[in-house]
Amino acid sequence: MNLTGAMELKAEKKAERTILSHCYYEGALKLTRPVYLDEHAPSVYMIHVGGGYVDGDVYTTKIHAAEEAEVSVTTQSHTKVYKTPKEPVVQKTSIHMEENSLVEYMPDPLIAYEKARFVQETDVYMEEGARLIYSDMMTPGWAEDGRAFSYDWIRSRLKIYRNGRLVVFDHLFLEPDESISGLMQMEGYSHAGMLMVIHEKVDEAFIESVCDLLEKMNLEARFGISELPVKGFMLRILAQNTKTLEELIYKAHDEIRSRLLQKDIIRWRKY
Amino acid sequence: MTDRLLPLLQFSDSNFPSGAFSHSFGLETYIQEEVIKDKQTFSEALFIYLEKQLVYVDGLACRLAWETLEAENETGFFQLDEVLFASCLSKETRLGNQRIGERMARLCYDLYPSFILEKYIKEMKAKRYYGHSALVFAAVAFHLGIDKQTAVKTYLFSTLNSLVQNAVRGIPLGQTDGQKLLVEIQTEIEKSTDEIMKLSEEDLAAVSPGLEVAQMQHERLHVRIFMS
Repeated sequence: MNLTGAMELKAEKKAERTILSHCYYEGALKLTRPVYLDEHAPSVYMIHVGGGYVDGDVYTTKIHAAEEAEVSVTTQSHTKVYKTPKEPVVQKTSIHMEENSLVEYMPDPLIAYEKARFVQETDVYMEEGARLIYSDMMTPGWAEDGRAFSYDWIRSRLKIYRNGRLVVFDHLFLEPDESISGLMQMEGYSHAGMLMVIHEKVDEAFIESVCDLLEKMNLEARFGISELPVKGFMLRILAQNTKTLEELIYKAHDEIRSRLLQKDIIRWRKY
Repeated sequence: MTDRLLPLLQFSDSNFPSGAFSHSFGLETYIQEEVIKDKQTFSEALFIYLEKQLVYVDGLACRLAWETLEAENETGFFQLDEVLFASCLSKETRLGNQRIGERMARLCYDLYPSFILEKYIKEMKAKRYYGHSALVFAAVAFHLGIDKQTAVKTYLFSTLNSLVQNAVRGIPLGQTDGQKLLVEIQTEIEKSTDEIMKLSEEDLAAVSPGLEVAQMQHERLHVRIFMS
């Protein structure tokens, strides 16, 4: 299999600070130098040097957080997937998290254009005390005929393992057909987003308070939040635009940072 | 060997005490919102529930479980249990599935004891695995020598049948309308069974996002008649 782009990074804790001890990229993927928006933890931005993902592209990303290390990984802009007449675009990500590490993986939204096919496989391996914050947004690109769903399909499979057991599996498969915008599917919305947190301190009271906060924002969206099979929660959102998804996800993320991590809120976006 | 028709009739009887009687699997959220309010609206919901949730999750799991038993692949059977539990991200529905799975396993084991069910029950007791009706059904059907197609089709029918009975109480709906729905959906059950046979393991547990949100929201409904 020919890789269009690959990137690897390893974060290690040195004294009070996490540093990137290994950083590698090739092909169409690049990484920025880490910025310390949080004085102890680096944020890195993944950059796609081409205009977007095209037919048959294959990308791999490997993130390794050593014991106690804290790292945030995001993207510099949206990931665009164009039409894939022959082969779907494949993106494989693996995240290894040693004891008590923290990984925030919150990329910008994916935009799937007309006739795009995209599959994303993400495997996360977590050791004791590891904390994960993960978000994802799947959005439709503009199409000439104005259809909300012009892509062929998008598949995202996120698997989280702990002690060799699969503990959380989020499998989102959006294939536009006559029922996609309706009941039980997208409920009249076009954009899907999620935020997942795995952290020992998540309990029903915390989930309830996040839910109340999001409800009070009174945005045009449909969302649900529930406790995971492990300590943590899943927030799923259906909305009409990226802005609404982001507002809800960032609000919940702020609560997670301030109340669970006891850290300041950070803003990765420059716009 | 008992006649194969009779156990199938027994399993698909809506009085079969699997515990599904107390669960709406998120449908009650739509009933409270009055999105589901009569035969027409419930019919649309039932068809989508079959074509998406049951095809990609419960039905496909039932088929794959039957195949693991045929291949004497016990590990594969228990992996399916893990996938079903890990992929149900609404806590209430996840625990509901688990409770129904446990109860059905014990009941089916009393009725038609088999080695695999005995083991499944032990694994649940030891909290190594969780329990799911799709797997229990596959196990008992395989043990009774029921072919894969028939097993899946019966599982789909019995699941829909209990949803219809719940809708009759919950919406409410007339008994005759409920039975009419079970006639109208027959062709779709055939189609869905064929579809399930064509899917691959990679398709398993694809979520119906709106339904999942409804299941999560159900956890916060103030007055409700169903546990999920």
